[in-house]
Amino acid sequence: MNEEVTMAIETPLRQVSPAPSDPVRSTEIDRAVVLRLRNVDAFYGTRQVVRDISLDITGNSITAIIGPSGSGKSTLLRCIDRMHEVIPHARATGLIEYLGTNLYDARVDPAAVRRSIGMVFQQPNPFPTMSIADNVAAPARFNGLIKGKNASADLVEQCLRRAALWDEVKDKLHQSGASLSGGQQQRLCIARALALAPKVLLMDEPCSALDPVATLQIEQLMTDLRASYTIVIVTHNMQQAARVSDRTAFLTMGDDGAGYLVEEGPTGRIFTQPHERLTEDYISGRFG
Amino acid sequence: MAAEYGALLTPTSSARRFKANLVVVLAVVATAIALVPLASVFLFLITRAVGVLGIDFLLQDPPGDLSAAGGGIRNAIAGTLEMTTLATLIAAPLGILIAIFDTEVGGRLATGTRFFIDVMVALPSIVIGIFVYSLIVVAQGHFSGFAGSVALAAIMLPVIVVSTEEMLRLIPRPISEGARALGLSRWRTYASVFLPTAVSGIFTGLLLAVSRAIGETAPLLFTALGNNFFSTDMNEPMQGLPLLIYRNALNSAFPAARDRAMGAALVLVLIVLAFNLLGRWLVSRRKPGRSTGR
Repeated sequence: MNEEVTMAIETPLRQVSPAPSDPVRSTEIDRAVVLRLRNVDAFYGTRQVVRDISLDITGNSITAIIGPSGSGKSTLLRCIDRMHEVIPHARATGLIEYLGTNLYDARVDPAAVRRSIGMVFQQPNPFPTMSIADNVAAPARFNGLIKGKNASADLVEQCLRRAALWDEVKDKLHQSGASLSGGQQQRLCIARALALAPKVLLMDEPCSALDPVATLQIEQLMTDLRASYTIVIVTHNMQQAARVSDRTAFLTMGDDGAGYLVEEGPTGRIFTQPHERLTEDYISGRFG
Repeated sequence: MAAEYGALLTPTSSARRFKANLVVVLAVVATAIALVPLASVFLFLITRAVGVLGIDFLLQDPPGDLSAAGGGIRNAIAGTLEMTTLATLIAAPLGILIAIFDTEVGGRLATGTRFFIDVMVALPSIVIGIFVYSLIVVAQGHFSGFAGSVALAAIMLPVIVVSTEEMLRLIPRPISEGARALGLSRWRTYASVFLPTAVSGIFTGLLLAVSRAIGETAPLLFTALGNNFFSTDMNEPMQGLPLLIYRNALNSAFPAARDRAMGAALVLVLIVLAFNLLGRWLVSRRKPGRSTGR
């Protein structure tokens, strides 16, 4: 195993409930807003799954979206890169501004949105017929970001390094991406997303299919990436949210089955002094 | 507690075991029954045709009079290979594109196409032959290898569409969502992700279609017609193995014709066999993926 992992394991996990005066977390409130969500509703057919969510997501930070199953966390995340509408009969309304541009403006090409906002899924999904190197380089090549062999090789190394995978795969770049372990596949998918040079990285329960060691590697990686990217992570794992995120948004399901935002704030405060009773019940395990 | 352990130790009742074994035996018997005609046809062909087969049989054209002994089936082998190749070149791209249309576009139009394709699968091949006859032979005023190819393509098309659609539907959703989330165009997604992922299945469907078309007689009767001479000109009537077998078998009162039909039949079977083996080998050595099959 590489050094990072060992370190991650030896460093005591940050407590589920960090001290409220945690200096790192509380000073990071007023960064520039990268994503501005206003009154976002999402539907499957006539069934509403997300209701009236407004939320500001600041740059170069990690925002965790937590909440029980069915609270619309993943749907909300998928609304951000317009992946929600890919599902038949699914639609979203409201305003989602990315650096001042309304992503739902009629002139906006959804494919362009997805190129500038990367997404990592619950199930690692490297392209099975492509080599490890091609998994990283091909999408960038197809989207016209790079040309030529040298550029490809450079990009592959750079992204795999950034995804903390390079040392493990540098001698087998031409093997299939499907030959890697689950955790490696997930980091390959992160490298693939980074190859398109996005500013935002959306992660939909990226560790739920991984073992604890691979989970720690991904969490460590997220912390490393935080300086250069805006990361939004949906997670079922409250310890994970507490460990990695700067801010936390808590969603829950209303009586009508649609998820709504209960409260959002610095992670330290949400986990120690939630303003809402619902949040407190959920994080202390008294929910449902 | 004791009762539960007891249940584990009690032997399975003999009636139950008998039933379980019976199902296995029935399955084995059914398989054997299914294999009997296949094996017997093959054995019959080999015993009847092995004396006929030889270099001359493969490299000479048949005599003008089919009751005469000697000659070979070179023109029929060449015609079959040529017509089937052209038919594949017509049907494969078209069929794969139709399958992509059906899975990708969906909606009422795709439902219509799918219904049409289903009807086409069930269409008797002689009807396809007559259709192509009225469409091409009548329009051109003469029989031709080209018309034969079109008729064979019409046989292959629905098989290719159905099998390709099936394979495209099997692509795991995480893979297709991954491609979407990278902002790849639909065309790019199919060309570089979906088709390579599904290629072995699509190829198998293609082989199935070729195997079916290569042995079809009826669609060729009114289109390629047959030709006693060697010809590779697609604008002229063309001989094919099934046509040669058909004409010679009709005259099986003549020993020479009967032998020629047997030999040609064995050659046809061997071509199909070789084709399938080649195809499987090509699929199995494909680089680099060797996906876990998921």
